[in-house]
Amino acid sequence: MKDKPWYPVLYMFIVTAAFSSVVIGVGAVTHDRVLANERLAFEKSVVYALALAPGRRLGNSEIHEMFARRVKEPTNATAGAYYIEEGGQIAAYAIPIEGRGFWDQIKGVVGVGADMRTVTGIYFYQQHETPGLGAEITRHEFRDQFTGLRLSTIGKAVNIRRPGTTLGPGEVHAVTGATQTSTRLELLMNEDLEDWQQRMGVRGGEQ
Amino acid sequence: MEGIAAQSWQAFVVCISAVFTQNVLLSYFLGMCSFLAVSRQVKAAMGLGAAVTFVMVSTCLLNWIIYYHVLVPMGLEYFRLIIFIIVIAAFVQFVEMVIERYSPVLYQTLGIFLPLITVNCAILGAGLFMLIRQYSFIVTIGYSLGSGLGWWLAILAMAGIRQKLAVSRIPAGLQGPGIALLIAGMMALGFIGFTGVLAG
Amino acid sequence: MSPRTKQNRSMKLIQDGLWRNNPIFVQVLGICSTLAVTNLVLNTVVMCVALVWTVAMSSLTVSLLRNYTPRNVRMMVETLIIAFYVILVDQGLKAYWPEMSENLGAYVGLIITNCIVMGRTEAYGMNNPPAGAFIDGAFNALGYSFVLLIIAIVREALGMGTLLGYQLPFFSSQYWDKWIIMVMPPGAFFMLAMVTWMFKSMQIRLGSQGVKK
Repeated sequence: MKDKPWYPVLYMFIVTAAFSSVVIGVGAVTHDRVLANERLAFEKSVVYALALAPGRRLGNSEIHEMFARRVKEPTNATAGAYYIEEGGQIAAYAIPIEGRGFWDQIKGVVGVGADMRTVTGIYFYQQHETPGLGAEITRHEFRDQFTGLRLSTIGKAVNIRRPGTTLGPGEVHAVTGATQTSTRLELLMNEDLEDWQQRMGVRGGEQ
Repeated sequence: MEGIAAQSWQAFVVCISAVFTQNVLLSYFLGMCSFLAVSRQVKAAMGLGAAVTFVMVSTCLLNWIIYYHVLVPMGLEYFRLIIFIIVIAAFVQFVEMVIERYSPVLYQTLGIFLPLITVNCAILGAGLFMLIRQYSFIVTIGYSLGSGLGWWLAILAMAGIRQKLAVSRIPAGLQGPGIALLIAGMMALGFIGFTGVLAG
Repeated sequence: MSPRTKQNRSMKLIQDGLWRNNPIFVQVLGICSTLAVTNLVLNTVVMCVALVWTVAMSSLTVSLLRNYTPRNVRMMVETLIIAFYVILVDQGLKAYWPEMSENLGAYVGLIITNCIVMGRTEAYGMNNPPAGAFIDGAFNALGYSFVLLIIAIVREALGMGTLLGYQLPFFSSQYWDKWIIMVMPPGAFFMLAMVTWMFKSMQIRLGSQGVKK
């Protein structure tokens, strides 16, 4: 039967169909989970950037529950930022930031208070920088510098300076040895933050 | 989606970076097998590099179209792995047939490399990276061209060096792949010097 | 085939895969996909497990189907089977270990083009019984893995002072200046060159003394 001319075609068809069905089955089963994982990574960033549970490490279901309960979807009035309310007033904004790092895309969230100037925290949920160098931006030693930082409304919103220099307001130290990642991070953060400030109408005021 | 001008500039930047600062072979380790095997003579390296570049640009663009206009609308993203490799294999097969038919001379020089290209991880790798980084079509042109040229540059440089090295005394354990990897490491180190050439 | 001969056959396959025909320093194949992740031991372990799974299962499946597969479509069938197992791993990671999937990125998918997988299925799986194919595939991949693990251990220890994420006693202290080059691409090339040199020299030395043929 192997040497009949139609055999190879039939064989390929059967084999392809068989393996493809298994793959599609696996895909269908895992599809929701994969989407949920991606969504969770983002929700985690928002929750930590807004410091909704300061000092605590939250489990996945806690994060999801907290996000669903407190975080509101962006509206035109918030210019694309997620936000939380307290007592009917907007208490803080969560601005998604995204851009090309040194090796690959960096994605994160910057939390900003109701004054649209003071940072509540930052968190990254995607980066592919060099471990031990650029990837250190995900460590709390780097990110903690941003908590309480006052963003500028003229010129660069945030300034990432070389380690060892004395810092002014709105400035943080870069990760030692990770010049390229730090430069790119400053660029991508400012691009998104300044754009948001512009759309919220706070650009160009006093420092 | 940004305008054509912005995309073209990004395509240019991505192209340059794929050749120098983030060379597909020296920084991302893609396409090593044929690189180590074929890099002994400059002539062979020229031929293989050209073939790889051509196949890379064509299949990346083809795969881009198939992914965003067939797989995504059907919700079958996870099929990309098998679809991409089939497209690459089919394309190489097709090119081989065309070359054999229309240019026996070209087939003589290039024909032997074509089967090697199908399993060149750089080609599939470039296709996967373009998806992860969500490049637009125009940027993908720049990226695939840069990746191909960067790979070509690396294998050409390696072949040049190895041709000279053929008359040197190399310890037995280091002959062949060992010395090639050492050279590749030094080249990779050298290419890091290009970092920061394009700030944008 | 007598049980004794079967056992000898298996032992030979195991030895070939791990040493005599080692994919990295003898065959020099399949380096692309895993070298990139050798800057962290954990990532390397996961990649190697994925590779062992893929090569062994693909070889096994190809072997099971070998009597039904016509000669002229065998490469397409092999590719299909390999892609099948890789997709399973890729999706599995995305669903159940998303951080690792993020870390490994496109390199899991690149196992498909890893020359070892195609090499073993074509060279052995297509022409031999399933048990042997599975062993051959698994131990080739293990031979590949142990070399990469050596590289990864050195890179992570010297470059970051940790092992599997845990701080090492000497390398994390202030007395050791971390070798940044080890976490960057050139470090991988140099380490692989060193390891290749070491093992090949050993093989030549042992071969000339006739201890291991």
